Amino acid sequence: MRITELRKKIGKTDLYIKDLKIESGLIHGLVGPNGCGKTTLLKLIMGITGPDSGHIDYEGLKPSDITMMSQRPYLMHANVYDNIVYPLKIRGMKIDQSEIDCLMERTGLLQIKDQYAGSLSSGERQKLSFLRAVVFRPKMILMDETMSNLDQDSEELFKEIIRERHDEDGSTWLIVSHQWDAMNELFDKVHHMDKGRIV
Amino acid sequence: MLEWLRGVFTDPAVLSAIKVTFEMAFASTLISAVLGVIIGLWLQNHEFAGKRVVVRVNRTLMGVPPVVIGLLVYMLTMRGGPLGPLALLFTVKGMILAQVLIITPIISGMVFSYAESAVPAIRAFAKTMGADKRQTDRLILSELRNEIYFCIITGFGRAISEVGSVMLVGGNIKGHTRTMTTMISLLKSQGIYSEGIGLGLLLLVMAFILQTLSDSVRKEQIRDENY
Repeated sequence: MRITELRKKIGKTDLYIKDLKIESGLIHGLVGPNGCGKTTLLKLIMGITGPDSGHIDYEGLKPSDITMMSQRPYLMHANVYDNIVYPLKIRGMKIDQSEIDCLMERTGLLQIKDQYAGSLSSGERQKLSFLRAVVFRPKMILMDETMSNLDQDSEELFKEIIRERHDEDGSTWLIVSHQWDAMNELFDKVHHMDKGRIV
Repeated sequence: MLEWLRGVFTDPAVLSAIKVTFEMAFASTLISAVLGVIIGLWLQNHEFAGKRVVVRVNRTLMGVPPVVIGLLVYMLTMRGGPLGPLALLFTVKGMILAQVLIITPIISGMVFSYAESAVPAIRAFAKTMGADKRQTDRLILSELRNEIYFCIITGFGRAISEVGSVMLVGGNIKGHTRTMTTMISLLKSQGIYSEGIGLGLLLLVMAFILQTLSDSVRKEQIRDENY
């Protein structure tokens, strides 16, 4: 994916990406201070918002090949399990029950799979959001501070699953994080942002 | 007491008024629900010049006195009016038309307000899941089902309790266009209170049932705010 001359102004954020190449098959880190435009960049890549000017060359990736996890994930008015299998259902993909059970077991969601998603804690919501994003094996996954509410063990588990999926599928990851030290080992490449620019 | 209630609710005139009331309320709510949900969601999803004015007009119509709508429909449906040839005046269909004009802005206005706060997040989520347009629309309807249900209950409550417009358009004709509320109004003017109280009690029971349904929906919404 190549981003060129991309500009977007939202409130105080004045994003300008002159030239950014996100090589496929790598785990990219995107780090920078609050309000520097990291989330805006992910939303532009995801197509949730449009640019004022500039271009994103997806190099063959379709919108349905990309997914994004946000810091405050949207949970459907349904139970945990139905939320997780939603992307599989809308794609008409076969539900591999043993794989889903295994993922839910590892993240501690299996015991609460029938629980109403709205009643989950913030950490559990992030786990649900994470599983919902990885379960359909997208080619590119954008993560916006999705590990901020996790304990140390869960964070390690997320990194383990990310590495597994990356190795199995060759998927591309773009992970926004403030936890630079903790995440550094995971990243193949790191992009630093400041005041709306890649520095 | 039981004897008195039995007397009230076996009176053919009362039974006819109950039948007309429910016929009118169900039909008008059904039509208004379809129109109101479509208009509310369409307004949320489209940007155009004058949108703010349209929203403001809708909100104004939410509070318009029903008797004004009644007068408008009366003038439209009277013999020399533009809808005169349809012979809607003093019919249940005419009353339904008036009710639809009253209830639709209420439902569309409420749906628009709910959609304004919820739909952008649902659309963004649908995008991240790779949903197409039809799947996104279905998801929006599914996610807003509690809110839409609450809007429809509100509309039905308004329809069942209406007096002014149905009196004007329906003419309060016994056994034909007389509703529970217009009958209560007539009975009061004739000084016959017992049947009026019986009908009033039935309306109160209906209001209680509607309130109970609304509360159950609200509880669901409060739960969702914990997101």
